[in-house]
Amino acid sequence: MSIDPALWSKLHGASTHFPVALTMAAALFDSLGFILPERSGHKAKLHAAGYYAIILGALGTFPAVLSGLFLTKGVVLGHDALLYHHLFVWPAFAVLVALGVWRALVGEKFSERGFRLYLVGLLLTAGLMAAAGYWGGELILNS
Amino acid sequence: MNSSLEAKALGLALIVASASLGGAWGSAFFIQSHVTFVSSDFQGESLPGDITSSPVLIAQGREFFTMSCAECHGDDALGGDEAPNLHHLVISNARIAKTIKKGIKDEMPMFAKKYDAHQILSLIAYLRSLH
Repeated sequence: MSIDPALWSKLHGASTHFPVALTMAAALFDSLGFILPERSGHKAKLHAAGYYAIILGALGTFPAVLSGLFLTKGVVLGHDALLYHHLFVWPAFAVLVALGVWRALVGEKFSERGFRLYLVGLLLTAGLMAAAGYWGGELILNS
Repeated sequence: MNSSLEAKALGLALIVASASLGGAWGSAFFIQSHVTFVSSDFQGESLPGDITSSPVLIAQGREFFTMSCAECHGDDALGGDEAPNLHHLVISNARIAKTIKKGIKDEMPMFAKKYDAHQILSLIAYLRSLH
């Protein structure tokens, strides 16, 4: 199999921003939905937005990860900025997929304690994604 | 409370996440062993001709590498205690050339006076030939 690597550079750039933005949007929507009182009338809508954002974000990680692997010719860790990028990418990928699956199955039938834990994981993942994005940017700027 | 549903969902979520991570790393292994890339330069920067197809240039680069770089980066460029592995570099050729020429403050000496442009090109050809 022979593939032009320039293709993967473009695809990785095009696909990575969706899961990053959707994860952060999910964290924002679900946090607001959790904080706001029932009487505000927006709670259910915010949780619905968070629900779809996390599922789409989790799905979006697969093309981002695959194109990244092709871009680096299958390097899982690497060194320097690429190593730092991957040290944040891999935990973010695993946790985001887990959160997406959990939320897809539980839907809106979550307990308060369960959702608190979910929110902690979601905020942690948003942080990991931001750090991975930062080091990805460093890779581009330094190349 | 939906503790039972949440617990079951958590179990399945952990299984899917583990499978996804394993699948990604398995894909990495597959890419490393089965995929051939048309160009070694995927950063969009071109050098004269295909430098990695010139055994003479690569051999020359290997010679310079052994003289000036192997002490820190190791004989096979796999890195040492104080210098990184140089296989699978994901920075551009221009960036490699700049690093060789100007060095890295407090980390790597500069070689601008020791090697001319063609010699640096041969070093890049050698580094790009590493797999």
